[in-house]
Amino acid sequence: MLKAIIDNIKGLYSLLVGLSITGRFLLSPRQTVHYPRKVIEPENMASYRGPLELVPGDPDPAQSRCISCQMCVRACPGHCLTVTKGASGKSPEVWLYDFTLCCLCAACVESCPTGAIRFSHKVYLVADSREALHLDLLGQLKSSAKQTS
Amino acid sequence: MELSIASFVQIFVAVLLIIGLMVGNAVVMVYFERKGAGFIQRRPGPYEVGPWGTIQAVCDSMKLLGKQIFVPGNVDWILYFAAPILAFFPVLLLFLPIPFGPYLTGLKVDDGILLILAFAGFGVISNILAGWASNNKFGLLGAARAVSQSIAYEIPMILALLAVVFLSGSLNLSEIVENQGSWPWQWNIFVQPLAFFIYLVSMVGETNRAPFDLPEAESELTAGFHTEYSCMGFALFFLSEYANMLLVSFVCATFFLGGWRGPFLDGFWWTFIKAYVLMLFIVWIRWTFPRVRFDQLLNLNWRWLLPLAIINLWITAVAIKFFD
Amino acid sequence: MDRLNFINPFGVRYQPDMVSGDFYTKNFAKGAAENTIILNLGPQHPSTHGVLRVIVELDGEYVIRAEPVLGYLHRMHDKMGEVKTPWQFLPNMGRVDYLHPIAWNWAHVGAVEMLAGISVPERAEYLRVISCELNRISSHLVWWGAFVMDLGGVTPILYAFEEREKINDILQIVTGSRLTMSYFRFGGVCADADDRFLKLIEQFIPYLRKRLKMYKALVTDNVILRRRLENVGPMGLDICQRYGATGPILRAAGLAKDTRRDIPYGVYSKFAFPIPSGPTDDCYGRYLVRLREIETSLLIIEQAISSLPDGPIVIPKAPKPTFKLPAGESYFAVEGARGQVAVHLVSDGGKTPYRVKLRAPGFSNLSLFAEAARGTLLADAIAILGSLDLVIPEVDR
Repeated sequence: MLKAIIDNIKGLYSLLVGLSITGRFLLSPRQTVHYPRKVIEPENMASYRGPLELVPGDPDPAQSRCISCQMCVRACPGHCLTVTKGASGKSPEVWLYDFTLCCLCAACVESCPTGAIRFSHKVYLVADSREALHLDLLGQLKSSAKQTS
Repeated sequence: MELSIASFVQIFVAVLLIIGLMVGNAVVMVYFERKGAGFIQRRPGPYEVGPWGTIQAVCDSMKLLGKQIFVPGNVDWILYFAAPILAFFPVLLLFLPIPFGPYLTGLKVDDGILLILAFAGFGVISNILAGWASNNKFGLLGAARAVSQSIAYEIPMILALLAVVFLSGSLNLSEIVENQGSWPWQWNIFVQPLAFFIYLVSMVGETNRAPFDLPEAESELTAGFHTEYSCMGFALFFLSEYANMLLVSFVCATFFLGGWRGPFLDGFWWTFIKAYVLMLFIVWIRWTFPRVRFDQLLNLNWRWLLPLAIINLWITAVAIKFFD
Repeated sequence: MDRLNFINPFGVRYQPDMVSGDFYTKNFAKGAAENTIILNLGPQHPSTHGVLRVIVELDGEYVIRAEPVLGYLHRMHDKMGEVKTPWQFLPNMGRVDYLHPIAWNWAHVGAVEMLAGISVPERAEYLRVISCELNRISSHLVWWGAFVMDLGGVTPILYAFEEREKINDILQIVTGSRLTMSYFRFGGVCADADDRFLKLIEQFIPYLRKRLKMYKALVTDNVILRRRLENVGPMGLDICQRYGATGPILRAAGLAKDTRRDIPYGVYSKFAFPIPSGPTDDCYGRYLVRLREIETSLLIIEQAISSLPDGPIVIPKAPKPTFKLPAGESYFAVEGARGQVAVHLVSDGGKTPYRVKLRAPGFSNLSLFAEAARGTLLADAIAILGSLDLVIPEVDR
């Protein structure tokens, strides 16, 4: 009986300790980042793997390094890449990337012999339809080259 | 009390004001509850609707009003719709004898606390009807829990209040307030600390709030007795839950914390300040503790609170006999 | 209490006619007995953590029978392993168990390396240990929060997620993702640790130690939680061994069995760390074992960081995505957050493996539930379910 009473008094004390902890957190600053008004620092984003993008070529940033060897297409577990060779030379004519099927596993990036593919850091990519995520990477490369020049 | 036109008008106005208080209280408390939960959990809480999310609760209640009334199959129609109404309307009556201020009382009756305790029993009827009529096993379990919990926690609650009634020698809430002084050390909490503690525990148990929220234990019974309720049915349960919280807080403020009497200037503001501090305390413990188990809940009541309340009552009676 | 033959408070004696957990599957048409109701917990229920369905037969609040029903999240991972090359199967490993993906990475990569006879550079082994232990901590943290949420305390899970976000920030530097990590490669790891990675870990270890003290004060010592967990759902050595339970459940039963110590893989044999084995075999014991494992993981990370060697992180000529396995068979087991994670690989020398079998600890651990929950209160059954630390994608695979 006495033991039970002491137990209960100790228990009540533990409840007070819990209240003091949550009370302290009640007054401490928030931990969340309020998204549309604030974003997390770019240092954190730099290592984030977003959708794929083509690496700009060395002399001409609108030209891809890709040699249409189909290694990435064969390596991809989700079959999300379509690369078609152009009529002249090795450079590709079509470079389609279906982001809906991609699992960001880096199989294409690591199998590419020329290092033509890399991950972008686009975290805030949104789309309202499936088709909007079928990306034309060659077109993206050209438009981004136009923007920088 | 003779029934005159004046008293009828007074009650009518009081009930209207009380409805306003209940709805306003629910809106304000939902906001504070969500903000408090957010701050305790180190996130901002509602933020987008209105400045600092102040209109969030209003918008949510508008949404609840505008929703389709969805009735699951095989329910008992009459009981299913009677339950939320039964949960809501008796609470109106409960606020009538509460002395908010020296003159601000809906109905000055000599046995006000009896009225409150008697009609508080309606809440549990609505819970069991809701659980039973909605033809849901989770609801049924929640209803069964609600009944035994409410019955159990009413007894120590009454006994704790009786100790104060012994001291004041009256069941009239206004007289109980007038018997206490303006300064905190003249309040009943310093004469009856044990009764205050017992009341505090059973008040959380009576209103089905965490850690005693077993009738609607989310992780076990999804939502307990109101699992099958949507739109206004749910909103009425919601309103009555917050109204019940407010009621027990007002009763606690009246009995133990001096009611409308307070330092410097007596008035209704003291009642409201005290009641809302108690409400925020209930919110605070909800977001701190895990839930107790059902047998532990009843054990706590029958093995600890009830004997303590009886001992407290006995000591009070003896003390009054010998020292007064 | 003899749980196979118990008397309820009303004096009714129940002698369930089964020990196996598939009574309802076999006797579906029978329905509830007199005075009992059959309750479907799940697949959509707040405390089944995903889509586990538990059919319980209740007498009042007492559970007479509880039968877990699986298959609501079955995604054929074992079969997918047969139609993909081992490299292509690697990202699947992050999806099997989203809370501790790196252990699954390790099990698969280890099985392939064992079969192909690939040895791993030392720096890569150390990085594997660091990332795996960090991931174990984050898994235990999520379990801790979710378990307390099962018991009705909503706040702790958000505190646990603060720490988990910090771990995710650290692991994102090397793995590139925050949930379904695919960090390991055959013969090494895919990215090297930079200064920021090491700096963040050094800041994180004392921070988490401080937070663990807060956890203890807020939750572990809380009287409500203790009374909810003490002497609830005892799972002795006997039942654990009959059903093949591993991990914290087995260790809470008193057997200090840990794959990291018993079958040392990687460089675990170089570190000194205790294996927490619980004081009691009830829910509270399992709870304590997991919290002590977080401290153990911190110890291992500290040792690994201080003795991190320089060198390559992947072997030269590492297997490409089109890499073919030599014919043979291998079985590689690692210690996941929930128990022994293992991959059994059979190859006939073709492009894809002949057969892949994933041993998920969650599946074996869940099997204990039907027997342990019998005769308890509904709230206790929920606590027992939570204390098993189930990740349903891993149970169903």
